[in-house]
Amino acid sequence: MKQFWEQAIIGPLRELGHQAVVSLSSLIGVLILILLGVMVGWLAKEVVFRVLRLLRFDRLCDRLGIGPEVGRLGLARSCSYLAGQVVQGIIILTAVLAGLNATRSQWTQGLVERFFLYLPHLLAAVVILVLGALVARFLGRSALIAAVNKNMPSARLLAGLTRVFVMVLTVVAALDELGISRTTIIVTFAILFGGLVTAAAIAFGLGARDLARDLLQSQFRPRPKTEAEDALRHL
Amino acid sequence: MAEEILNVDVMEKLGALGPVEIVVGIPSYNNAQTIGHVVQAAHAGLLKYFPDHRALIVNSDGGSGDGTREAVVQTSLDTQDLLLVRHTLHPVHRLSIPYHGLPGKGSAFRTVFRIAELVQARALAVVDADLRSITPEWLDLLLRPVTEREFDYVAPYYKRHKYDGTITNSIVYPLTRVLYGRRVRQPIGGEFGISGRLARHFLGRDVWATDVARYGIDIWMTTTAIAENFRVCQSYLGAKLHDPKDPGSDLSAMLVQVVGSVFSLMETYASTWRSVLGSLPAPIFGFPFEVGLEPVPINVSRMLSAFGQGCRDLRPVYENVLSPRAYRDLMSCAEQPSDKFVLPDEVWVAVIFDFALAYHRRVIGLEHLLKSLTPLYLGWVASFARQTEEEGAAQVEERIERLCLAYEQLKSYLITQWLVRTQERRAEQ
Repeated sequence: MKQFWEQAIIGPLRELGHQAVVSLSSLIGVLILILLGVMVGWLAKEVVFRVLRLLRFDRLCDRLGIGPEVGRLGLARSCSYLAGQVVQGIIILTAVLAGLNATRSQWTQGLVERFFLYLPHLLAAVVILVLGALVARFLGRSALIAAVNKNMPSARLLAGLTRVFVMVLTVVAALDELGISRTTIIVTFAILFGGLVTAAAIAFGLGARDLARDLLQSQFRPRPKTEAEDALRHL
Repeated sequence: MAEEILNVDVMEKLGALGPVEIVVGIPSYNNAQTIGHVVQAAHAGLLKYFPDHRALIVNSDGGSGDGTREAVVQTSLDTQDLLLVRHTLHPVHRLSIPYHGLPGKGSAFRTVFRIAELVQARALAVVDADLRSITPEWLDLLLRPVTEREFDYVAPYYKRHKYDGTITNSIVYPLTRVLYGRRVRQPIGGEFGISGRLARHFLGRDVWATDVARYGIDIWMTTTAIAENFRVCQSYLGAKLHDPKDPGSDLSAMLVQVVGSVFSLMETYASTWRSVLGSLPAPIFGFPFEVGLEPVPINVSRMLSAFGQGCRDLRPVYENVLSPRAYRDLMSCAEQPSDKFVLPDEVWVAVIFDFALAYHRRVIGLEHLLKSLTPLYLGWVASFARQTEEEGAAQVEERIERLCLAYEQLKSYLITQWLVRTQERRAEQ
């Protein structure tokens, strides 16, 4: 009878207790790691923020055109702060993943492994987005200044379209890098872009037939000049 | 040891020639139509005014495909018609060679300077190959101050139509004057007299792989001569008539080149111009006379429209570049009715100084910055044209003098802000 109690009841209970203690210690370990990550992350954020502010990182970002975009989108109060927050996020995420890994379950270990395999793609996508935003801004400004200097009435529209076009390409490239429904994105983009061009062509052809004719005529059959020409010699 | 820019053939020819006292340089690129006249004038000028000097005419060509070099060599001069009082002791030699290096007027000048150095020339004159109004007297006027008065740099002084040379009048002349303290009226004129000493100095500078070799040579030479205390004067040459420049070259590209060169030199000579206050006239040689000038038709309403659009569409750029006060003043100018439009001198000077500071501070890309000046410059030209519509040459010159004084009055602002921007730039680096 005593042996029966030992094998059927007390043994499993002891086993359960043992497993509970192991699990609890793992859980406590995970919690401690996360807590540590939160504290270190907060500290790192403050350090990064203050160092970058001292190095006038915000002014550099303003000149590159990133600062105003960050402000406009309400992402953070400044680029230095945003950089600090990114570092904080990375540290906390690393701590959480380290904690999950410490539980030694197959599922969490697989998750951690997949995350680290995915991380380079994530970073590449971020770099693509930042570079794309810079290129869009540069080309937008180039288009704006060139159009103004050519007295084109729709200079701002042209500059805006240039920026949007470059940003759309950038987002598509970034999503492609992340592997998010690659085919769907490319097909969607092609359909949208093709549709827009077709719609614009139809609208232009139907709604602004006269304008289209005038434009083509001015390009290929120059009309006699009605305005006095400048003969300024600037130098 | 610097790389030799002349080939062996040229060196041998120069060696055979021996020492030469005067060199006349003519940079060219596809100027077959006009260069014959320029060579004749230079040749006649040397025979007439420097009969005792050994002289050489050098055509430094940028790879013309229209027979420019052949025209230089084949152009003949009938000395019977020159009525020479004295016969020359030495023949005037001619040399036409292609230059090496970056394509541009600066590289062509460098070749002339190197030849002048090799033949130990005391004086050089450089004249454009597209001149139609050059006379033999120009050679005397450009060279005599060097050979007999010990001047190192002779800048041209032309009579020009009031709407001719508007970048020079609104930016280059006043800015050069206010920065370096010398009143050289045509700092980018194109024709210059230079001493052998200064030519050697130019040659020794490490600028021949930069924009100076391409397009900024005129302002670079003038600024270097003034800022480095060489003896500078001017010679009155009368009217300058020349072939129109390439019609395809657009205004904003011109501003990028010219104003960019002036701003870049401001950085090179920052310590020099910060200590200069006021300005002194540069002596003028020659006999001033009235000349008939070709009319210059302009379209003020189109310029005003360009100015208005610039102020409307480039507002974010100007907000970034200009000081709050200059920005406010500029925007209130843009709101004026077009028939009453005036861009006051003080506002214009503040705009130019703020652009120079933004260039120094690298607030935005340099090409964007300089190109965005185009509508504002057209606004200045429109305002200037309106104000001088009924004015004669003397009144227009007085108006430009008032503009220069406005530049001089605001110079303290430029100096203080320059130091601030320098510190900011250093902190960022």
